[in-house]
Amino acid sequence: MKKLSPIAYVPRRETVQTASLAPVALYLGAYLLVCFFSSDPLVLIAATVGAAVAGYGSGAGRAVNFSLKLGAFLALTMIVVNALVTSRGATVLARLGDWPLLGQVDVTAEAIAAGGVIGLRVMGTMVVIGVWSACVDPDRILQAVHGVARRSALTATLISRLVPLAATDYARIGEAAALRGPAAAPVGRGAMAHRLLAGSLDRAVDVAATLELRGYGKSGESVRFKRIPSRYDRRFWIAGGILMAIALAELLYGSGRFDSYPEISYSVRVEGPLAAVAFLAGGAITWRKGRR
Amino acid sequence: MSPLAERAVGLALELDRLSYRYAGAESLALEEVSLTIEPGEFIVLAGGSGSGKTSLLRAGCGLIPHFHGGEISGSARVGDRSTTENGPGDLADVVGYVAQDPETQIVSTTVAAELDLPLRFRGDHPAQRARAVEEVALALGIPHLLSRTVTTLSGGELQRVALAVALVTRPPLILLDEPTSQLDPVSGDELIWLLRRLNEEWGVAVVLAEHRLERCLAAADRVIAMDSGRIGFDGSPRDFLGWAIEAKPELATPSALMFSGAGIEPLPVGVRDARHILRKSVDRSASIHPSIGRVNEPTSGKVVLAARRLWVELDPGEGSVDVLRGIDLEVRAGEKVALMGRNGAGKSTMLRTAAGLVEPVSGSVATPEGIALLTQNPGDFLVRDRVGDELSGPAGEAALEAVGLDVSAERDPRDLSGGERQRLALAIALAGRMEGDGVPGIICLDEPTRGMDRGLKSHLTELADRLADQGAAVLISTHDVEFAVSFADRVVLLGDGETIADADMPTVLSGGWYFASEAARVLDRPGLVSIDQGIDLLAGHGEEGH
Repeated sequence: MKKLSPIAYVPRRETVQTASLAPVALYLGAYLLVCFFSSDPLVLIAATVGAAVAGYGSGAGRAVNFSLKLGAFLALTMIVVNALVTSRGATVLARLGDWPLLGQVDVTAEAIAAGGVIGLRVMGTMVVIGVWSACVDPDRILQAVHGVARRSALTATLISRLVPLAATDYARIGEAAALRGPAAAPVGRGAMAHRLLAGSLDRAVDVAATLELRGYGKSGESVRFKRIPSRYDRRFWIAGGILMAIALAELLYGSGRFDSYPEISYSVRVEGPLAAVAFLAGGAITWRKGRR
Repeated sequence: MSPLAERAVGLALELDRLSYRYAGAESLALEEVSLTIEPGEFIVLAGGSGSGKTSLLRAGCGLIPHFHGGEISGSARVGDRSTTENGPGDLADVVGYVAQDPETQIVSTTVAAELDLPLRFRGDHPAQRARAVEEVALALGIPHLLSRTVTTLSGGELQRVALAVALVTRPPLILLDEPTSQLDPVSGDELIWLLRRLNEEWGVAVVLAEHRLERCLAAADRVIAMDSGRIGFDGSPRDFLGWAIEAKPELATPSALMFSGAGIEPLPVGVRDARHILRKSVDRSASIHPSIGRVNEPTSGKVVLAARRLWVELDPGEGSVDVLRGIDLEVRAGEKVALMGRNGAGKSTMLRTAAGLVEPVSGSVATPEGIALLTQNPGDFLVRDRVGDELSGPAGEAALEAVGLDVSAERDPRDLSGGERQRLALAIALAGRMEGDGVPGIICLDEPTRGMDRGLKSHLTELADRLADQGAAVLISTHDVEFAVSFADRVVLLGDGETIADADMPTVLSGGWYFASEAARVLDRPGLVSIDQGIDLLAGHGEEGH
């Protein structure tokens, strides 16, 4: 019996899983957008927590925990790397002398803060991707992609299957890594990422071949997939619409202003906390009555 | 004219002087291949690894050249459609294809959705789709899987689903690339006879590439043997065996080798035929030793694996299930043990639990002298671009020496042959675990013979012997009974998470129907399992009989 990847899709009768693809994409897309582009730490933290709450509410606790752990590791890496490679900033916390390749290394509070903001973005993004992967049926994505990429099975596979394939490979390669002898070269994260990407692309090509064999690209004919309505669609349309509007406003106008250099400054405007509350509260809409 | 007949216009498959070279390859994968396959024929495609079987099947379904690129000349036609002019999608309703690895052949979330997909792409009416899905599920014995998520299926279940998907559109031709490689002996036999039934009842032409010919030759109308990209033989199964004995003994079935060695004619096509020939040519009631099998003395080495009342639960995503149920198992240094059982019996879980990848819910498992486990996909162990980057230093060299692998440190692991990659992966698992007696107490391999021809399997047997000679116990989970006969001293048979048989190899693998070697099934003597034993018996017997 195979070990299931923590971010593998598992069909459940929860809100995100049963809702239609478009409103869910709008809803989670709002979180993704804000995590990608916002520079306001308050909004980023709220969006990350909100996305995690949404995941827990959909029964995807394993995926959320996994994404949080991976995101935290990447965030920490960002902070350390930025602290070492960036000497900008007025508040020097430590002077580490001359390092090979890096030259004079001064660790500044501003560089750490800047790395922290990037790390928050990465962590939030990881959580949203984890929730999407664990809760959104790849079949629905494939059906949606078929409408716009009828001839290219590879495009369809890359969009609908690359993350699930990578998740499966990650679990398998991780298991093999744990079985390596102590004298074998350890599987570092870089080697793992390289192998994962190459392997997933190879397997995506194989899956694309399978799709073609099923008749995917046949003469470019349109296939109508029956839309399965859900009573949760309305909920996600409304919440997703509001959150997307807030995310776009955040993207265009910004809420709070956070600057790392030359000194850390954070001017909070009323829009920032409001956006944070919206994204935090937005996570709760995936919870439903009677959920155990 | 029925839809099937409409689609089966002309020959099922016709290749005319087809040559093909993969992009970037130096040699031709197919060279001047010409053949015709009539509608309703059942063809077994034989040949060693790299002989061109898979390429021929890919050319038959349009993956070559449309998906794999490369250079092609000559022509290939399925029915009235050229596979060089029509892509796999355009050929989907006239040819079904089942590739070696079922994991890459499943693209949907649930089994029902997977079966439904090709029908949707074809534009079938919902009622027709529902009927077709139900019918093919019933035909393949998988209606209970329809609502299952594909990630929860075992390899054998996936293989059946992949076959069902290839059949659901009722194509007049189906091409199968080693479909039984992940199946236990019972499921493998069932699948072959299911194909034969579909072939007879629906008139589907079947082209089946297989390494374990003893499984499928009796079902075939005709055998085509590939050799270095060319057709080496094309004729009846019995003539094929005659040709193989002379030209390619590694392709001959165990019973054919046994009869040939004993000088009995004609060569048998399958167990039933062998028994029939023996009834006519040999007086089977003459004196035969009741048991001529080797029965091994219990090994007295140190205990290197001790499982006590081992219970393991796993959650495949749809609730926890008991996978191992109170297993007691002891393996001693130097033993060579085959772990067998049906798909889903708990073999892989047993190995993974012993290696510490899975926590038991109760009971214990101990490997006091250390353990190395090679999982089913050796490629998962290879993450770097140079052999030298995977394994370096004296410990790495010792591991390579232990598995008998001598390749340049500069080689890219992905460029190694299948057997070499397997050895490299095993060396990676062994590296640094070889202090003291030289090897860890127990070395486990999970289904290592998938996709291997007989030559590679005999190399694997040599490797197991080599490791056992160095003092390790070797525990291999396998569905391949003939391989188990060549490698094992002892067989542990699991059934539904429990040990149902644990004894020396000849005792377990003789006298049965499924978990028995072909020699055992033909001669049905307690303890008789190997070809050599069969030859000894038949040769001596033949003299008495004549």
